[in-house]
Amino acid sequence: MKITSLFLLFFTTVAFTVHAQKNEYQSLNISDSLTENANAVVRLNQIDIVISSQRSMNIKTKRVVTVLNEKGINAIDAIESYDKRRTVKAIEAIIYDALGNEIKKIKRKDFKDQSASGGSTIFSDGRYIYIEYTPTQYPFTVVYESEIETSNTAFIPTWSILSDFYVSIEKSVLNVNFPATLGFKKKEFNFSNFKIKKDTDTATQLSYSVATVLAQKFEDFTPVSKVFPKVMMGLESFNLEGVDGTAKNWKEYGKWFSENILMGTAILNDETKVKIKSLVGSETDPIKKARIVYQYMQEKSRYVSVQVGIGGFKPMLASDVDRLGYGDCKALSNYTRALLDVVGVPSYYTELFGDQDIRNMEADFFSIQGNHVILCVPNGEDTIFLECTSQDDPFGYQANFTDDRDVVVMKPDGGEIIHTKTYHNKDNAQISKGNYAIDTNGNFSGKITIVSEGSQYARKAAIENMQPTAKEAHYKGYWSTINNLKIEKTTFSNDKEKVRFTENGSINAINYGTISGSKMMFAINAFNQFTGSVKRIRNRKNPFEIQRGFIDTDEIEVALPAGFTVEFIPSDFESITKFGEYKSEIVKKDDSTLVYKRTLFIKKGLYSNKEYDEYRLFMDQISKNDNAKIILTKNQ
Amino acid sequence: MSFKTAFLIVILLFSLSNMKAQNFELGKVSLAELQEKVHPKDSSAVAAVLFEKGKNSFEYSQEKGFVMITEIKARIKIYKKEGYEWANKSIRYYTVNDAKETVSFSDATTYNLVNDKIEKTKLKSDGEFDEVLNKYWGQKKITMPNIKQGSVIEFKYTIRSVRTGSPRDWYFQSSIPVNYSEYKNYVPEYFIYNANLKGFIRPVVTVENGRNSITLNSKERTTSNRVTQTSFSSDKIDYLETRTTYLAQNMPAMKEESFVNNIDNYTSSLVQELAMTKYPGEPLNAYSTNWNAVVKTIYNYDDFGPELNKTGYFEEDLKAVLAGLNTAEEKITAILQYVKSTVKWNDYYGYSCNDGVKQAYKNKTGNVAEINLMLTAMLRHAGLTANPVLVSTRSNGIALFPNRTAFNYVIAAVENGTDVVLLDATDKFSSPNVLPFRDLNWLGRLIRKDGTSSEVDLMPKQTSNDVITMNYAVNDKGEVVGKLRRQRTDHNAMIFRSNVKDLKEEAYLEKFENENDKIEVSDYLRANENDLKLPLIETISFTGANSSEILGGKIYIKPMLSFSQGNNPFKQEIREYPVDFGFPFLDKYAINLQIPAGYKVESFPASASILMEDGLGSFKFLTSLSGDSIQVSILSQINRPIISAEYYPALKEFYQKMMEKENEKIVLSKI
Repeated sequence: MKITSLFLLFFTTVAFTVHAQKNEYQSLNISDSLTENANAVVRLNQIDIVISSQRSMNIKTKRVVTVLNEKGINAIDAIESYDKRRTVKAIEAIIYDALGNEIKKIKRKDFKDQSASGGSTIFSDGRYIYIEYTPTQYPFTVVYESEIETSNTAFIPTWSILSDFYVSIEKSVLNVNFPATLGFKKKEFNFSNFKIKKDTDTATQLSYSVATVLAQKFEDFTPVSKVFPKVMMGLESFNLEGVDGTAKNWKEYGKWFSENILMGTAILNDETKVKIKSLVGSETDPIKKARIVYQYMQEKSRYVSVQVGIGGFKPMLASDVDRLGYGDCKALSNYTRALLDVVGVPSYYTELFGDQDIRNMEADFFSIQGNHVILCVPNGEDTIFLECTSQDDPFGYQANFTDDRDVVVMKPDGGEIIHTKTYHNKDNAQISKGNYAIDTNGNFSGKITIVSEGSQYARKAAIENMQPTAKEAHYKGYWSTINNLKIEKTTFSNDKEKVRFTENGSINAINYGTISGSKMMFAINAFNQFTGSVKRIRNRKNPFEIQRGFIDTDEIEVALPAGFTVEFIPSDFESITKFGEYKSEIVKKDDSTLVYKRTLFIKKGLYSNKEYDEYRLFMDQISKNDNAKIILTKNQ
Repeated sequence: MSFKTAFLIVILLFSLSNMKAQNFELGKVSLAELQEKVHPKDSSAVAAVLFEKGKNSFEYSQEKGFVMITEIKARIKIYKKEGYEWANKSIRYYTVNDAKETVSFSDATTYNLVNDKIEKTKLKSDGEFDEVLNKYWGQKKITMPNIKQGSVIEFKYTIRSVRTGSPRDWYFQSSIPVNYSEYKNYVPEYFIYNANLKGFIRPVVTVENGRNSITLNSKERTTSNRVTQTSFSSDKIDYLETRTTYLAQNMPAMKEESFVNNIDNYTSSLVQELAMTKYPGEPLNAYSTNWNAVVKTIYNYDDFGPELNKTGYFEEDLKAVLAGLNTAEEKITAILQYVKSTVKWNDYYGYSCNDGVKQAYKNKTGNVAEINLMLTAMLRHAGLTANPVLVSTRSNGIALFPNRTAFNYVIAAVENGTDVVLLDATDKFSSPNVLPFRDLNWLGRLIRKDGTSSEVDLMPKQTSNDVITMNYAVNDKGEVVGKLRRQRTDHNAMIFRSNVKDLKEEAYLEKFENENDKIEVSDYLRANENDLKLPLIETISFTGANSSEILGGKIYIKPMLSFSQGNNPFKQEIREYPVDFGFPFLDKYAINLQIPAGYKVESFPASASILMEDGLGSFKFLTSLSGDSIQVSILSQINRPIISAEYYPALKEFYQKMMEKENEKIVLSKI
């Protein structure tokens, strides 16, 4: 033991001596290709991980970054988190000017120290320590070194070579040392477009290196998780917040988790048991029971997170949630599980990566990967997942945060990978029906009913509870193409059973039709113009992805002003591409009434960089056609 | 007695009895309060403060002297889920040794109605947290248990503090309705506070005189005949106490609006600061009784006045900077540029130096005070009449009353007769009299060497211009080809310079193209990007395929293409607070449009002119046709940086008419 620490000490000293060389990191000798599109250049990012036992991991980071301008400051990334099980043994940074002269040394005491709580995390015993430096000139170079010691061997940091856009990498190195007995494993992602060298891969050692990775430009709709290279790592024998664990795969992990972490957390007092049983009454259908329990939980609780010790991983006791009426995703999911158990409905704690961006738990690779917890309720062959942190979501609603991805369901006999509900293109519908009239002065008055379903439901359901000013702002944004918009009245109905949100609105606006001389002109599609522009990107490099499809249909009756004749009506238009379909038509009902019909259907899909321009042109066409004007002439 | 008076009395009696019906003591939550579904005066309220009572008093201890005890009791009703955050409360406290504060919560209870019965849930220790924020501050937090829609919560907290200089601000108003807000301050005769009320709605103030006392215990040892005796004595000192009560009732919720400087300025609140101390047997000590006292106090701070007198550290360097310069204007520009390029701002505000000017100069980085006091010292050294100006930034609210904490920032001023030039070296793109946006906040206070001071108007008087000259031709496909020259001055230039800083030209153009109907830019030139004295000029050659519409064989085109504002920024129906543009401005367009061969002008927008009342703004739109080209000249200007809310309907209409005119189209048809 003593020998090891002596050796470490020696090693550290040597390492620091090397850094004292000043000219090594001159900013001037960076090659031009690395500065292209770059706000910062990572000259070296070396991570040395030494796992000495199941309960001990040491991580040394040396990161040398030349910051070229203000936008590159984030690339310094000199931040470490710490808590009771994770100590920052050393942290230091030295700043060099463009010529490699030392400007400033930032010692540990000069780093900022901050609590990890904030937002809905009311308290956390975790803290951050990070650099605070005001650049006096650009470019400058930061040599940052840190050393972390932790017993949490379940969390081996993922090696991300590129962490951001507009940052290039001169050299990046990963060295991992581990005892052969702990069952170390790894999984590589997105290596194909990068020249990553695997230097060692033995029973006790893994190392990679990569040189000259050019800065990536940000391009809209880029599926980052399918483009940026990374290596995930894990141990079969690990320690998680003080608890030893062993698992080769998700099945074993689920079993271990149920037996060691979840055990004993789902106990409720008799009073609550009686209450929930009486609420459920004589209901026998498990899903109907689950609906009652879910609603009870939603009304009783709120989302507040308290992260103390293993609380970062272990749910708060169900009895505490019952008493306090709050908890985080783990606590509330587990509490719901306990309630369901009382009324004889089985349900399972489920770990996943929750994000608008769809991201799977890696089915064939077990390691700690999730950031969120939901609850799985089996429904015959099918499964229903419950989001327990929301007080408003309909039963089983998942769109936009936990949908369409692989998750880990902790069944008593082991973990199981299950794919969550997919919101298929045409499920995500918005159906608008309404009418409007234009008077002889071009003033607009109209009524509309908008029904939203599927993934579009979530975007709309929140409107009902908005403050009046926010509600007004929402509609003025939604109908941004109507100038001088006045909202007369809005009413809503939220059918949580069918997951369908209905908005009824009556609106008016003066001068919607612009009058020049004897002519009046206005866009016939008043209620649902596609205004979002799809950017032109010069030389797109990355593929692009539409993660959720949708369909909008509109049918609007238009009453024309008396004393005017139609001079021009946009012709019917249809466009069918691999990305989706668009159709608009105008039907003349009588001399003064038109019916405008429109369908916009966009499909989910992953496309290559070459197809982007085609997509952009498709959307441009839509935007242009949505803005097509009708021209009326005043009768003489 | 007329009927009217009788009616009034009835109302009065009714409201009095109505008031008594409510109970403003903790623990007395009524069934009615729990049953209430929405706030009676504001149905959109997510929560409401049913009452909040604060009492500030002083206690004497022999070890610490006077300790200020602030005790606050509150009852809050939660109507909606969106109001759940009101069930969390956090209080900051100072943690540095001598001035260490303590905060303790007590009597925190949640009340719910369960089957028409009141259910109480007390806050236990697992809902109370203590957090270290930084070296100086800690924070106590509570999160109330068992919160549901309709819950009523109550809590009390007590802050003990020796920081008698500035008691905590009291807000009568909040982002939710406040039904009853009472604040009492019991101040011993030894302290005189300035109490300033902010906001549109004023509380009722009543003052009473009272008495209180200090008990001093002492022990004395006497030794006689080898017997030591200890005698205890206790002295009681009586003193007068001023008891002031502030009471505000039925305060509406504060609502955010766009173009608002800082909503705090309009929120009803009480700000207090120690103005004088008069301890028995000591002379009067004035800190901030009026602006002169405030200024004198600040000037005498070690980290303010004395820092201005240090010159040795820069003298040699400054010689080189000033070499060959003669006029005051040249010197000002050179010194400002020198400070900006030598010392970078570390993003810290304040009018006091942290490390001191010398250290900042050496480190090449400093806070606002270090940079601008150094600037002032250099200007003085160059023979100019330069002085610091205390400023309250936009985020800090407006400095309305004489107190030291009203300010949080300092800039420099050079006086030349009646002419005042304001300077701020913390921003790379600021120039004389063109200050960063954060500084533009009503009035500052200039401090002269002799201790006198005067008000300085911080709002820009010079209009910031945006002048576009555009020359383009339309072809028979409706495509446009042309050139544009855009010239920005003052704040418009400053904003543009900081927006494009570090933005690669390609990225800028990509953005520019996408924001302007996807026109294509072929040539681009930017002049004076770093020469701040001169206007920033862009020259662009473009072609646009989406800039017009062809309908029924006719071409419809907006003369300004995509360069008009398009939408009225004023969408709200009613406005509570002034509209704050920050600076007066003028937008000017000179457009020459060539029509395609084989086409004629069927119609074009008529000339128009709009004037806003009291000279607040004007809009001129002039069109003329000569041969196959159309000339359009547009001039719009807002002449004041701040426009009060009473003008809002007029301003909204002005913008609406302006947008309508700008959106009118030229119609071209085949000959």
